[in-house]
Amino acid sequence: MNDKPLGEFKDSAALSLGVELELQLVSRRDFDLTRAATDLIGSLDYDQRYGEIKLEITESMIEISTQPQPTVDGIAADLGGLRDTLRSHCERHNIQVCGGGTHPFHHWPERRICPGERFNDLYQRYGYLAKQFTVFGQHIHVGCTSADDAIWLTQALGVHVPAFIALSASSPFVDGVDSFYQSARLNAVSAFPLSGQCPALNSWEEFREHFGFLQACGIAQGIKDLYWDVRPKPEFGTVEIRVCDTPLSIEQATSLAALAQSLARWLLRTRPALHTAKQAFVARYNKFQACRYGMEAMISDPVALCQQPLKQSVANLLESLSEDARALNCEHWLNPLRLAVADGTGDAAWLRARQDKHGNLNDVVREASDRLMRHSAQSPEKMR
Amino acid sequence: MLDTVVTPLRSLWDNLIERLFFLPPFPESIDSLALFSLLLVVGLLIGEWLHKHAGWPKVIGYVLAGTLFGPAVLGWISIEALAQARPIADAALGLLMMEVGRRLDLGWLFRNRELLRSTSADIGLSFILIFGFALWLVGLSPAWAAATAAVTMASAPAVVLLTVEEAKAQGQVTERIILHTAIGAAASFIAFTVVLGVVHAELSEDWLNALIHPLWVAAGALLVAGIGTWLALTIARSLPKRSLAQVFVLVACAMLAVGIARMLAVPVFLTLFLMGVLLASRDRQQTLRYTQLPEGHWLLAIILFVIVGASLPWQDFTWLAGLQALGLLVVRAVAKVGALSWSGGSLPLPKRVLVGMGIQPLSATAVFMAYEIAALYPEVGRSALTLPLFAAVIMELAGPALCRLALVKSGECESGNRGSGGIA
Repeated sequence: MNDKPLGEFKDSAALSLGVELELQLVSRRDFDLTRAATDLIGSLDYDQRYGEIKLEITESMIEISTQPQPTVDGIAADLGGLRDTLRSHCERHNIQVCGGGTHPFHHWPERRICPGERFNDLYQRYGYLAKQFTVFGQHIHVGCTSADDAIWLTQALGVHVPAFIALSASSPFVDGVDSFYQSARLNAVSAFPLSGQCPALNSWEEFREHFGFLQACGIAQGIKDLYWDVRPKPEFGTVEIRVCDTPLSIEQATSLAALAQSLARWLLRTRPALHTAKQAFVARYNKFQACRYGMEAMISDPVALCQQPLKQSVANLLESLSEDARALNCEHWLNPLRLAVADGTGDAAWLRARQDKHGNLNDVVREASDRLMRHSAQSPEKMR
Repeated sequence: MLDTVVTPLRSLWDNLIERLFFLPPFPESIDSLALFSLLLVVGLLIGEWLHKHAGWPKVIGYVLAGTLFGPAVLGWISIEALAQARPIADAALGLLMMEVGRRLDLGWLFRNRELLRSTSADIGLSFILIFGFALWLVGLSPAWAAATAAVTMASAPAVVLLTVEEAKAQGQVTERIILHTAIGAAASFIAFTVVLGVVHAELSEDWLNALIHPLWVAAGALLVAGIGTWLALTIARSLPKRSLAQVFVLVACAMLAVGIARMLAVPVFLTLFLMGVLLASRDRQQTLRYTQLPEGHWLLAIILFVIVGASLPWQDFTWLAGLQALGLLVVRAVAKVGALSWSGGSLPLPKRVLVGMGIQPLSATAVFMAYEIAALYPEVGRSALTLPLFAAVIMELAGPALCRLALVKSGECESGNRGSGGIA
């Protein structure tokens, strides 16, 4: 085994942000996923000013990642720039890019693994799961000034995983059928042996020991093998929230980044008591509830020993974050989330409504793709 | 050879018929349904065998089956039987041409102007170089040289579609091979229509035919295609999208267009290609956009290539004709690879060369076009069009292999190697 040492935690600017979006590459002919990633990357004429555009595990996926940004507006500008760059290159290749956590009707055995040692290793290790991993998520990095803070924040954010799942849920369709889930994507992730929650670790030292243990047992080679819902990312100096579906619009992805930044600030400022050991008992159940029911989920509280409606607790949370969001100058990005919670609208509902209207999923993907590629009213340049 | 089996059978039958009055007269020709089944099974078996043991595209096997059992070798498929099977070949070619027409995405040319340059270069260079070769090196008259260029300038849509489907290829090289093939087909049909008039003008003193025949072909094909499209979209709108009923409507309307085109002596390949283009461009509500032809239409394609194989004029083969055809193919290859090397941006040069290689096939459409033109003046047409027909003969075997090789080299085919991290 080629074990990669954990390395030191690289401190980064407090609450700096980075966003990664995994996107779908679809054919303009029928809006099914298509093999296009290596061709697209191979012909990319782009100076990386807004961040990176990278391959993902299969040829029908592409990952965009912003530059580290101090503000949410900076993230919006980068995502807009990356979207526009992708749009122009995809047009030249006659393909389209689409958001959403799953492609509604693709046939996973048809997917092709991208060339590269890492992707091939994953395919050899996980077999068909690697192809079924053609699902699309948003990862949000929040900068931490110390390794211990990062571990604390990892645990603290873990409690709010259902909120991120429900607010981003955009994967109701799998294999051409309605899954009844709001986010079916995470079921594909759950199949991996190192998915789930970060164990009840309280410091960077404990995390180092745990990671060393996993390496010694031959379970993990590097930090990338940990598919945890929230995990520390030492080389970036961040905590990474990994449970969000890729939303259907850049604006929604930006709002989720605003939520992550405001929440991290609020948590680090108020330092609520963590009950990590107790939370571990209900985490999987709460995650299921959020995936299955979205905002209608009932979330178990292992301390108060009761269930709370997620919709109510998210509304309360967004209210609590107002002060921090104002301080971070990103409150305007939280408003769409407040609206979605109040109206019960979201990407999953939008996709179902389009399916009801068209009666087929090809047109749903066509409209979803148009939605992602649409210019926002506010141009990235203005937001910078 | 067939007679040694048939003659004793016939005499036995004739003896029996005197006593068994319910017996029909000895069947002098094979029933068309039986012929259809035989062609299908034999073509399928040879294609599958070659594909499994030599890794060749199945199309080559179908053509070889036709050649082997056709008039040129064993003679089991007679010229009469070929004529009898022609409606099936027309139906198969029609469906494939409609599919190519549906894939003609002119919008892509405007989203990527480099493609406009590369497709124009492919069309222009191919026509000019082949015309020049036929005129100056082979010594054909201008009209027949133009006919040769019109017939051979484009790739073979049916072969390309079948090879792409068989290899399960996906990617930029594949998409551009299909785009070049579709646009090349459109250009060659325009050239073909014009050439009809030119041939009339050269060989007949009656100017009326020179004017009216191209118009008849162009307007007739457009009208029939328009009717087929309108009918298909109108009926399909009342049916659920992607339903089996929509598939039936699409195939039925295509067959109707094939039938009317045959009745009006309008080329089936042109009519159905136009119908495909109209279906793609007029379908603003995406009514039939996602409706695919049934898997069964590939069975018809097997018949098509067996018939094409049987129709090839092997019996007229001479070394000179073979060499001239080889020369034409070299010139054509230079034109296509040269055009792609010169332009076709947003794709690296090696991949553009692969696109050039992938569009080398020359097959059913060319053969049918050549026979359409030759039929105008049979006394001179057949010999004048020996050159494109022999080029098609060679490319029937080499074309699918080149197309497949280009797809394999591009890395866009589905791989059966489970250990390589490709497609399991």
